[in-house]
Amino acid sequence: MAVLEEPVKEIKVVKNYINGEWVESKGEIVDVVNPANGKTIGRVPISTAEEINAAVAAAQEAYPDWRRTTPLARSRILFRLKDLLEENFEEVSRIQTQEHGKCIDESRGETRRGIENVEVACGIPTLMQGEYSEDIASGIDEWLIPTPLGVFGIIGPYNFPWMIPLWSAPYAVATGNCIVIKPSSEVPLSQMRLAELAEEAGFPPGVWNVVNGGRTVVNGMLDHPDIAGITFVGSTPTGRDVIYKRCGETGKRVIAQCGAKNFMTIMPDCDVDRTVAGMMTSFFGNTGQRCLAAANAVIVGDDDTFYKNFVDSVISLSSRIKIGYGLDESVQMGPIRDKAKKETVLRYIETGLQEGAKLLLDGRKVDIIGNHPETCFIGPSIFEGVRPDSKMGSEEIFGPVMSLMRVRTLEEAIEISNANPFGNGHSIFTQNGKSAREFQYNILSGNVGINIGITAPVAFFPFSGMKDSFYGVLHTQGKEAVRFFTESKVVIQRWF
Amino acid sequence: MELNTASSVISLARELEETGARFYESLAGQYPASEEMFTGYAKGNRKFIKQFETAYYGVITDALEGCYAFKIEQEKYEINSDAGSGLNINEATDRAIQVEDTMWRFYTDAAEQSKSLMADVPRVFSLIAKKRTERKQQLETSRH
Repeated sequence: MAVLEEPVKEIKVVKNYINGEWVESKGEIVDVVNPANGKTIGRVPISTAEEINAAVAAAQEAYPDWRRTTPLARSRILFRLKDLLEENFEEVSRIQTQEHGKCIDESRGETRRGIENVEVACGIPTLMQGEYSEDIASGIDEWLIPTPLGVFGIIGPYNFPWMIPLWSAPYAVATGNCIVIKPSSEVPLSQMRLAELAEEAGFPPGVWNVVNGGRTVVNGMLDHPDIAGITFVGSTPTGRDVIYKRCGETGKRVIAQCGAKNFMTIMPDCDVDRTVAGMMTSFFGNTGQRCLAAANAVIVGDDDTFYKNFVDSVISLSSRIKIGYGLDESVQMGPIRDKAKKETVLRYIETGLQEGAKLLLDGRKVDIIGNHPETCFIGPSIFEGVRPDSKMGSEEIFGPVMSLMRVRTLEEAIEISNANPFGNGHSIFTQNGKSAREFQYNILSGNVGINIGITAPVAFFPFSGMKDSFYGVLHTQGKEAVRFFTESKVVIQRWF
Repeated sequence: MELNTASSVISLARELEETGARFYESLAGQYPASEEMFTGYAKGNRKFIKQFETAYYGVITDALEGCYAFKIEQEKYEINSDAGSGLNINEATDRAIQVEDTMWRFYTDAAEQSKSLMADVPRVFSLIAKKRTERKQQLETSRH
């Protein structure tokens, strides 16, 4: 099967995009490394406080004119952006595979989901319409105008380098705000390409800015008085203790989408083949580096034969997963993003063993398709007999590790899922409507899957989250994003 | 080789259609009486590529089983596209029927296996399989 051509052939020097100009940073430069083959594909700056301040100042200056630009005119630029994204669909997908390691079907899926958010935001003339009530008292009318707020910061994670900033960016600019995006410094290339296409689409200088870097840029956003709000996707400690807290202190709006430990409940009446296929994507898709990845498979019932056959099917399919470079079209699972993250996963495997769980499939032994270094590769691991309150059963691993648990009833499955501090994307596989409803009603999870292992909402639904998985009120995507990026100005009018 | 990913199956479909198109272009050049039919098939093959690519790129999502949907044995769908000049029109027609039969099997299997993907992909595969049945009937009746 074909190995697709790499779009990034030489080392790409990443610049910041500020006020419509590509600007070299004065900050330290670090390498962007393809985790599959170890090749350096880019050099990215860790930008300075002055550079984030310059971007915010440019955005603030662009804001008054951009706000006055009609929603239809803003929408037309988004339509042009959507067309450009379609034209460059394959290139941006392959860049994601090169910089992150995910396989090409996953990258294309990520590209499509990103574009879908641009498509939804194109409807801003109607999405942003206000509300009007005539005669709220005699001769008095009242109406609500959603108005933009100014400048927003968008902080992206490494696991979905392209799509996640697009959960926010199209809605922010469509509603008349200006933005500063900080991509993950590990995977900045697809965001750089996105900014090039945004520039080509015709956003005026200062509306769409990108500043690469790390903590200094994030702190610069959090402390800046001209930033009205932040959207963030990343770990719970950072989201809760830094982003959410500091936004509270500085009076900013915030969406902080954080970590997860997702439980998949498997009822004995499930469609076994479809459930097992769904599990592969959910547990091992994106090499487990996904806040909606299932981590714990909770198998319900006391039927030992069902349990054994089911687990055998899971192991059989998992052990045949083809691992390699994601640009090889036959590959089903790529590497972990970097060596340090792989080592974290390996430590959890050791922890699982120390905690007494049984390792049914050992991902530490890995067969890689093609001649690639093992540095970042790991195979799927499956543990049996994991306790939900153990480290293995309760903490986010962010790698291709499945923990099998067994309970007698659906109620027990819901109880152990709800006892976990996270509440991002729990799911159930069953053919029974009553069980599905019980689950959906009682589970404490922002996103719920019924016979769907990855509970990712489409662009016109909010990407939800509960408990330690989400800090904030409104969510990214769709109508909630429009509300997040606008203030409700309410006017009451009487004429004498 | 077993193909499991949507990407690899789409690539195989593209390759089969392109091979088929070249085969029909060659036949069109050799048999003037059937030129219109074979040229139409070659054009049709390239239209099928556009159809399944539009469906695939339009609905591909990381949230469904794109990497795990298929178990397609590539070797089962090899086509004999040798349009050597030694064939008479009936032999060429028989070879074309074999090509269409293989394509029909491929799309029927792919449609069945891709049910877990969004509806558009299996629907397009089924549609193309149906077109293959129509072509086979047309080829049968065109025999001299």
